[in-house]
Parts: sequence; structure tokens; C-alpha cells
Amino acid sequence: MRKSLLLATAGAAALTFAAASPAMAASGSQSYQANLQALNHQDASGTLTLSLNGNKATITEHTDGLAATFMDAPFPHVQHIHGGADGTCPTMSADKNGDGIVDTVEGLPSYGGILTTLSTTGDTSPKAGTNVKTAPAGAGFDYSRSITLDSATVSAIKAGTAVIVVHGDDPSKLSKKAQGEKSNLVPSLPLAATAPALCGKLVASQMGAMPSGGVSTGGGSTSGIEDQGLFLLSGGLLLAAGATLTARRRLATQGAK
Amino acid sequence: MTDNDGRRAPSPRLVAAVVAAVLALAAVVVAVVATGAQRTPPSPPPGAAPSASPAAPATHRSAGPGPTTATPGREPGTSPTGPVLAKSTPVSLTVPRLGLRSARLVHLGLARDGSIQVPPTGKDSPPSWFSGSPTPGELGPSVILGHVDSAAAGPAVFFRLGAMIPGDTATVQRADGRAAVFTVDRVEEYAKAKFPTLRVFGNTDRAELRLVTCGGRFDPRERSYESNIVVYAHLTSSHPA
Repeated sequence: MRKSLLLATAGAAALTFAAASPAMAASGSQSYQANLQALNHQDASGTLTLSLNGNKATITEHTDGLAATFMDAPFPHVQHIHGGADGTCPTMSADKNGDGIVDTVEGLPSYGGILTTLSTTGDTSPKAGTNVKTAPAGAGFDYSRSITLDSATVSAIKAGTAVIVVHGDDPSKLSKKAQGEKSNLVPSLPLAATAPALCGKLVASQMGAMPSGGVSTGGGSTSGIEDQGLFLLSGGLLLAAGATLTARRRLATQGAK
Repeated sequence: MTDNDGRRAPSPRLVAAVVAAVLALAAVVVAVVATGAQRTPPSPPPGAAPSASPAAPATHRSAGPGPTTATPGREPGTSPTGPVLAKSTPVSLTVPRLGLRSARLVHLGLARDGSIQVPPTGKDSPPSWFSGSPTPGELGPSVILGHVDSAAAGPAVFFRLGAMIPGDTATVQRADGRAAVFTVDRVEEYAKAKFPTLRVFGNTDRAELRLVTCGGRFDPRERSYESNIVVYAHLTSSHPA
């Protein structure tokens, strides 16, 4: 029979009440997901989930393996919800000018124009589409934001034509020709800065509600030392044995005549 | 020293020696018993090569084929494979490896912080189907979670989840009277701080099951485990319950 310390029992009671918060997923919200696959020879990957309630969207995204730096600063990766076209990610067959990469313009027939900019702060309209100052940056990032979508974006998501595109390529993975080209969106930047790196179709999730983070399923009673009372008893018995030996020695010295 | 009858009484020194020996022996026995009674939730074995899928690689994984979501260019859920059942809420769970037989399932949704709500901890805490996931047998990942232990009452219903292996079965009895039988593909463990949401809850091509509990190191300040253990299984058959 397992004994627990009084303190642990009190802690458990507090935990139990804290854990049982009464809440449900917001009714009327629908979840969407996108597995982000690399384009243009990048070694990147990512995932994105979007929870849509009316025109309010909560987006959670994780990326890895993107181009890390640009001119000694973290490489900005402008990213958007595209839509209204084929609702697919382009393959290399979309490379019309033969420079070995599919640039943003060449990808338009597949994923469509920018509908929403997934900026870190401020404006999320297509006007903010090339604002590198409000783009997440670096080799990998975790992005989380709640924004209001316009009706064109909501329609595209529901129609299944919405595609997530993250831009900004590591130039070392591109052809020499592509490395030398200028961006056809922002001519002051190299093509690599705006060409797509990750792309994923936004599809309805099979989950009614997408959980965030892990699951809290344990209170820890089997971690650490269990049955501490028994070890205390053992220690006590050893002390008693030691005391008895000490008493025995005292008897011996007293008994000596 | 002799008493009136001339018999020799045991000397106090001898008595003390015997008592000391008995106490010491008892101390050792109690310590051995207490050590033997320590219980640790099992962990899946350390992994083989990291998987090629886009999501974060697991810290531990058992042998078994990788996820079906990893094929580039092919969107899961668009061409289902394998048996798929109609929607029907789950009633109970049978998992021979965990010693569970028709264990009553509760249904819980999301907690206020957006994580899955868990049943109260304590003795006889039941496993729980996440009502925001497909019903077991439908296309997609149906999620059932259970506590690994509780602070007061010791091992809980999913205590031995980390010991499940590919080929084990988990059967869910549904409200429509059918039993959905799932076969385990693999078992993985992830740090909660890097929980790969789409790897665990992302769309699938088959009717699948996710059994989830806690594992890894217990953080005494947070009073929670640092990792989650996830068992991946897919529907292999069904029969009248």
C-alpha cells in the first residue's frame, strides 16, 4: 500500500481543481492545416495551422532550415496566404525562363496572388507583401498571430484555393544564373530574397479543433522516490542498531572491573 | 554471573549485540523492499535514424514504418486507404498490453488555454477521447489520452503506454455497437516544448488512433512531465462489439 507525503497529497488536490477548467472549442470555428514543402532546392520544412472563426484567424506556424542571414542580419522571410488560382504549389515545370528556379511571378498560376500578408506586426494586407521589416526572419521561426481576414481570403480558404508561401531562398542552393538575377518584385533586392522557399496548400483539418502544445497527463507520483516513509523507517532502524551497539559498548566499559 | 537457580542468563552485552544485528537486518530488508517497489513509467526505446517527415523528429521512437504524411506533393486525406467507419462516439477502450478491458471512456474538449482538457487525476481516472478529434474509426487521427500517474494515487490508466510496441492492438467499442480494432505502428516521445502538432494531429490517409500520455523527466517546480508519449495506430478491422 503506497503512502504519500502529506504535502504531495495537498498539492495533488490543488492540481486537480486547477486542471478541471470548463471550456470547449469555440463553436463555429474550423481548423485548417498546411504542410510546408521546400521549393527551389531549399532544405527547409514547416507546418502551419489556422483556426478560422468567422473572419478571425489564429495562425500557428513552425519552420526550419530556411536561409539564415542576409547581409549580416537575420534573413527576412516575407510570407503570405495566396489564393484564387489553382490552389496548388508549383513544380519545376513552372520555371519558364530556364534559370533553374521558380520565382514568385512564375508561381502565380499555381498559388495565385497575395491575399493576406502573414506579417509579425501591423498591416496584413497585400500592400505589406514585400515589407521585409515586418517579416519573420532567420533559419527557423515559430510564428503565432491572430488577425482579421478580408472576405477574399476567407472565400479562398473555404473554396480550397488558399496556399501558404514563405519567400527568401538561400542563394548558395540556386543556379549561378539565378544568383545573379534581380528580384522581379523588388528590383533593388536579389531574386533569391523574394523567390519562394516553402509552399503548402491550406486544407481543412480532419480535427474539429486543433489543440495547441502538448497534453498534461501526469501528476508525478511515480517520478522521484516513492514510499519515502519506508526509506525513513529503514534509516530509523539503522540508527536504532547503531544506538544499541553504543549501549553495548557502554555496558562493556561499566562491566569491566 | 549466575542467578539463584545456577543457570547462566545471557549477558547484557550479548543481548545488545543480537538486538543490534536484528535491527540492522530489518533496516536492510525494509530498504530492499522499498527500492524494489519503485515504479517508473516505461519509455519507448531510443530512436533509429530521424524520419524524413517535415515535422520535428522524435526523441525516441520504436521500430515501425514512418508517418503517411511525409510524401511530398501528395496531400493526405485526399485518397483514403484501408477501412473507414461512419461517425460514432466511443464508449470504452480495450488494450491488452495495458491490462485495460472495456475501460469506460469520457469525452473532453479543449481547455481554456487551447490544450486538450484532461480528466481529473486520482484513483481510477478514466481514459478520455478528445471530442475535437474524429470518432475512432473515422478517417483521420482520433485522439485518446490518459494519465500516466497522479500526484497522490500512483500509476494511472496509461502508466505502461511507453511499453507498447508495433503489432499491439487497441480496440474501441463505439455507441453504434461496432468494435474498431487498431494496430500499433510506432511509439514516439516528444518534448512538450517542441510538440510537433501536425505530426501527431495532422490529416491522415487512414482511420487512425493516437494514444497520448506524459513521459520523460518530471519537473517538480512545474509539477508536470516534460514530454508526451504518443502511440500511433491505424484501423485494421471492425466487428460487432
